[in-house]
Amino acid sequence: MTIDVRKHDPMVEAEVQEFLRSQVLFRGPDREIMRYHGLAPLTEMERQAMMRTTDRLTKTVIRNRLQMIANESNEMLSHIASAPGAKWGDLICGVFTALGDLAIASSNGVLIFAALAQHPIKYILKYWKGEDTVGIREGDIFMHNDARYGNVHNTDQSCIIPIFHEGELVAWASSIIHEGENGACEPGGMPSAAESPYDEGLKISPVRVGENFQFREDLVTYFQNSVRDPKLQLEDMRAKLAACLRIRKRVLEIIEEYGIDAFLATMRETLEYTADEVRRRLAALPDGKTRIVLFADSTLRENVIAKINCTLEKRGEELIIDFRGSAPQFLNRATNTVLASLKGMIAQVFLNYVWPDLPRNQAVLVPVKFLTDEGSIVDCTPEAPNAQSMMTFFPAFTAVDHCLQKLLFNNLMNGNPAKASDVHASWWNTISGFIYGGYTQHGFYVGNITTDINGMGGGARWNRDGEPALNPIFAAYVDLGETELLEDELPFLCLSYRRLMADNHGFGKYRGGSGYMQIVTHKDTPLWGWMNTTIGSKFPTVLGLFGGYAAPTQPLCKVRGVNSLELLRNDSRLSAYDIVEIMNHKPFPGQYSTHHTGLQFEMVNPGEVYMQAQGGGGGYGDVLERDPEQVMADLQQGRISHWVAQNIYKVAYDPETLVVNSEETERLRKEERRARLRRGVPFQEFAAKWTRSEPPRDLPFYGSWDRPDEVYGGRPDVKMSTDSLQGIFMP
Amino acid sequence: MKRISVDIGGTFTDCFIAWDEQLVEAKAPTTHYNLAQGFMNALRNGAEKLELSVDEILEQVESVRYGTTLGTNALIERSGPRLGLITTAGFEDVTIIGRSRQYADGLTPLEQANVSGADRPHPLIPREYIVGIRERVDYKGEVLIPANPDDIRRQIQVLVDRGVRGFVVVLLNAVMNPVHEDLVADIILEEYPTSYLGSFPVVCSHDISLKKGEYARSMSTIIGAYLHRQMQYGLRSLEMTLRQYGYLRPLEVVHNTGGLSQLSRTHALQTIHAGPIAGLSGAEQVARELEVENLVTTDMGGTSFDIGIVAGGGIKFYEFAPVIDRWRVDIPMMFITAIGAGGGSIAKFDSTHQSLEVGPESAGSEPGPACYDMGGREPTVTDADLLLGYLNPGYYNAGRIRLNPQRAVRAIRDRLARHLVASIEDIAVAIREVADSKMAQAIFKEVALRGYDPRKFTILAYGGNGPTHACGYAEGLEVSRILVPANSSVFSAVGGGNLDQLHIYERTVYIFLYHPNAGTLYDQYEELNGIIADLRERGTRDILRLGYKPEDIQYRVEFDMRYGNQLQLTTLVSPYLEFESPRQILDLIKRYHVSYGERFGEGTQTPQAGISINNVRVVSYVPLRKVSFQGNGVYSSGSSRTVNEALKNSRRCWFPRLGFTETPIYDFARLPIGEQVRGHAVVEAAHTTFVVYPDWTLRLLENGFVEMVRNHGKSVD
Repeated sequence: MTIDVRKHDPMVEAEVQEFLRSQVLFRGPDREIMRYHGLAPLTEMERQAMMRTTDRLTKTVIRNRLQMIANESNEMLSHIASAPGAKWGDLICGVFTALGDLAIASSNGVLIFAALAQHPIKYILKYWKGEDTVGIREGDIFMHNDARYGNVHNTDQSCIIPIFHEGELVAWASSIIHEGENGACEPGGMPSAAESPYDEGLKISPVRVGENFQFREDLVTYFQNSVRDPKLQLEDMRAKLAACLRIRKRVLEIIEEYGIDAFLATMRETLEYTADEVRRRLAALPDGKTRIVLFADSTLRENVIAKINCTLEKRGEELIIDFRGSAPQFLNRATNTVLASLKGMIAQVFLNYVWPDLPRNQAVLVPVKFLTDEGSIVDCTPEAPNAQSMMTFFPAFTAVDHCLQKLLFNNLMNGNPAKASDVHASWWNTISGFIYGGYTQHGFYVGNITTDINGMGGGARWNRDGEPALNPIFAAYVDLGETELLEDELPFLCLSYRRLMADNHGFGKYRGGSGYMQIVTHKDTPLWGWMNTTIGSKFPTVLGLFGGYAAPTQPLCKVRGVNSLELLRNDSRLSAYDIVEIMNHKPFPGQYSTHHTGLQFEMVNPGEVYMQAQGGGGGYGDVLERDPEQVMADLQQGRISHWVAQNIYKVAYDPETLVVNSEETERLRKEERRARLRRGVPFQEFAAKWTRSEPPRDLPFYGSWDRPDEVYGGRPDVKMSTDSLQGIFMP
Repeated sequence: MKRISVDIGGTFTDCFIAWDEQLVEAKAPTTHYNLAQGFMNALRNGAEKLELSVDEILEQVESVRYGTTLGTNALIERSGPRLGLITTAGFEDVTIIGRSRQYADGLTPLEQANVSGADRPHPLIPREYIVGIRERVDYKGEVLIPANPDDIRRQIQVLVDRGVRGFVVVLLNAVMNPVHEDLVADIILEEYPTSYLGSFPVVCSHDISLKKGEYARSMSTIIGAYLHRQMQYGLRSLEMTLRQYGYLRPLEVVHNTGGLSQLSRTHALQTIHAGPIAGLSGAEQVARELEVENLVTTDMGGTSFDIGIVAGGGIKFYEFAPVIDRWRVDIPMMFITAIGAGGGSIAKFDSTHQSLEVGPESAGSEPGPACYDMGGREPTVTDADLLLGYLNPGYYNAGRIRLNPQRAVRAIRDRLARHLVASIEDIAVAIREVADSKMAQAIFKEVALRGYDPRKFTILAYGGNGPTHACGYAEGLEVSRILVPANSSVFSAVGGGNLDQLHIYERTVYIFLYHPNAGTLYDQYEELNGIIADLRERGTRDILRLGYKPEDIQYRVEFDMRYGNQLQLTTLVSPYLEFESPRQILDLIKRYHVSYGERFGEGTQTPQAGISINNVRVVSYVPLRKVSFQGNGVYSSGSSRTVNEALKNSRRCWFPRLGFTETPIYDFARLPIGEQVRGHAVVEAAHTTFVVYPDWTLRLLENGFVEMVRNHGKSVD
């Protein structure tokens, strides 16, 4: 018998389709899940529960209790976890709906972590629930760390467990910690040397790692085998599981007490109410557009000018955040951002900087629309490494925060109908803290980052100065820790630490909070190295507001080829407490050098000195309006230099007694105002002088220039349309 | 036993006198201008009850114990002297930056989250009075950079020129080697000898704490020095006053460690929060005498709700880095925590959830709840309690405050009813339920975090609003028993009467009981024994100076331990005072494993990552005879023979499961001992109102305690 292959047979066609569908080589990240930031559709179970549960009081009680549950587990986790990040606040716990929406995160911690755990849960539901070899069962434990499935970067590891009630999946619990070491090509978990995702260490897609509430030992060993710090890997996998199990236990107690309907209704309504409240608050703001252009000034390997192009439009109850025209992604540099990571960071703007009273869940972004170019540095593709995504989503955070403040000023002056916090200039926005790797004095091999990243200077407010070394932009109420405890565990010797640096903030009528110096060396170890992953050493991304100055840029400084400790011990004339003094006066022999703040892992000898400063916040308002007595107080406290007092603030005073000469000050300020008028030119004239048709040839410029739909790739002759972006390969 | 204990609060000075078998409580208004006067007035009131004169009492009494708020007030008012801080160069801004989190230490979660609105507290030592000296000691105590006397003199002169009146010295790693701190102190004494009128006090950090952590140790030292002189004057003048009346023994001061010591062995820092902690110690005595395994203490006043835990087996819960005012310190303090919930807590509309939120803001005592009629416009928990029928407008605080229900109605109508679209009464119910559930959740979290099941606890409720709400938060916790002490309104003073002489010394160490790399168990017994002996010696010295004999002293050794590199340490009470064999080390490891598993979940232990001791603590104490709660209560209650005789009248009150219903109102003063008042009911006492929910009964015990018990599943109404 022969088969007529030309004849259309629906059965065959179906078989062909089934064959093609089932031949999946690699599932990979799911585009649909990763690009969506709205709520999962209302389930029938939720709808029924909401109909049946109308008592607002019960729901209020449950919601408060869920918040307490998240807080309890987070507090417990910070007690028992071992990663430096977790110990000092770089962690979070959250409760998720059955379909994976983050309903309530702990009051403290890094919200973006929790906000991004929705994606792996949704992935597990979509791909593993119906998969015979995986499935989702009571007692299962999942984990992930790959940002392409939802995360900041793969140094953050999650633990995710389903919560079942009477056989039905009703919720999820998750805990996430910035672990540090992850087996990447450089120690510490954030390799700026990574040239592909495969240099970035462990890349865990959402995977089941345990059953019956226990980890599989073979998998634990595999993860330990893949990183430099197997001790940390084991400790924190168990710690995160303990936190998730605590959430599960408490959630089941709620269901037991109030019933499944009340629980489900509260979870869902918390999300919906949050979205509605954000809409109401947005509606209270004036409609309009604000814009800012910022630049990430480094790939951590070389200086570049990578554009972060931000336009923010408020229209009715909606906010549109438009990043189109930003730089194209770098395919062999780690500073690219997955779109979901960017969105998670923007959620932080709302929940800590504008509306800290809102419930901590993902619904704050529901009324927000994001516009980006796929393949750009803020919306990278899976082929681009992303371990240092912060280097682009931090300036993007600042851009959105800055644009929002302009909208909020009118609101503030009109009685604050939008219920916003203080209008402010930018926070310092980059993680100025050393990464380290090597053997400790106790014989352990470690690789991690210091807690100094938690001390970013706060921006000036509309009615007062910013606070120094306040918090990292990604979390509130975290901790710098104690130097004595740091030196107890690690071979650090901090020569100067937590000393605020003069002039290290944005000036203004109200000044930003200052950043402090970190002058480090090491001893008592056979092998040690430093690394640094910070941008902002060339181009300020920390902006002033309404006339306030931007915060200054920061270099990395080194003194190599010398054991400073031996010299300091033996020569009482030497000191090493101030970066500026050391670099200007060169107290020791040795090689002095300054660099941009992206440093690949570098082995060092005992006593060699590495220096950088945590940055300050932006200033607010005109420097000529600053109260001269405040300028004197800044001088007295070492926050500014005499040069700044005289040349920026234009204050006349006795340098010995710091007594202000008010009349002379007034005269100097009037004179400066006149000088400004003389320096000023009409806008057309300014534009004619400064406008260029394309980026200068000697500037490594990436991003749009005069057209938002066309971007440049480092040279005037490399340009491309935003709808077909090509990734950039750096030499 | 003849003993007086006094607790000075913001409004009242409470006095509790144990005069052999008689127990007397008395109060007098606090006299802030001279605390001794209020103290003597309260004592005089107590003496009258005993029909004795103050002189007669003070001549015979064995001990006068004093819990003071002097220090707390001085911190709040910033009325301390101008001090200078001398620290390691390069670390001058440690106390200004305050580990970054300082901006929100001691604040609410909302204030912690609001970074745009963050403001650090004004420093106790402003930056211009902080200098650095060239010196460095490393983590082991080795001197890396020797200090230079000329440099020290120069920096001292800078501070003196700026007008400081005392010095605080905090140098890096001084706890491992204090040589440089001692050198600075010597130079100051050399330059400004104490024989001169213009001498400057000097406080070194290693004399205050032997724990690593330069910020918390700096703040401990600074607060100690800041409060020192003011407290010294205040307490010395009190001691002088007592002497004039014939009390010749030393004044004993209540410490926040839950112990007691003489004035001469007391740092100012140890007196902060001593009042509530003395109350917690009183609760320990209650637990022992009434044979209650686990107690959670709740003190619900006007603005805050304090929670303390007394667990079985003599376990004490300490905070090792507590926050005082806005400052994190590193002295051990008995655990007590507070949330913003009290009678004055304000109810407001939560626009996000279209619902109701209560606290943490409070109307305080001025203007107070709207129904106080003192200008308050915000609806509060007390307003809700009034509208729910619990509070008697004419008999609140024994009639001293007349409540105006109309004001309560107006506040709820104006601030809440237009948003919530509900009746005034429904909103009052909601205010109460939200407040009660928040208190229940706060208790739940604290108890559960320590590894206990809250349902197995008894609530000890004191503070003016405790008995009014205890059934509410007990039901939220599924707790079935509430005790209200006889001396509820002076319970901190009562607790002060029951403290032991106690001194705690501790030291940071870095000892691996099990080293994972080397694969070895700890065997340097002499090193560990030496550390314990040193700390024991310090405590012994303190106690012997108070006139006790060596055989009176008992010791408890505690280790703060961890697996691997955990930050937080979990305390284990050591069964051994000395070590000599691997069996003891293994025993410690096993005990730690069990206690850790109970707290954080079995299977979460990671001994493979290493087990270390990072802090050794020795508690040296002399157990003193306790005032018994058994026997003679201080109440004159019990005048009626049956509950019905104590029935005053009835009014309409709200209760869960019943709604508004006619409710019997009883007079506490006439309540018979041992007879049950069945809920639903309200019992009015002079200083508080007991609200008895349906399914609950209230009973006055022989010892004067009130017991409220839930009868599960049985309707007793």
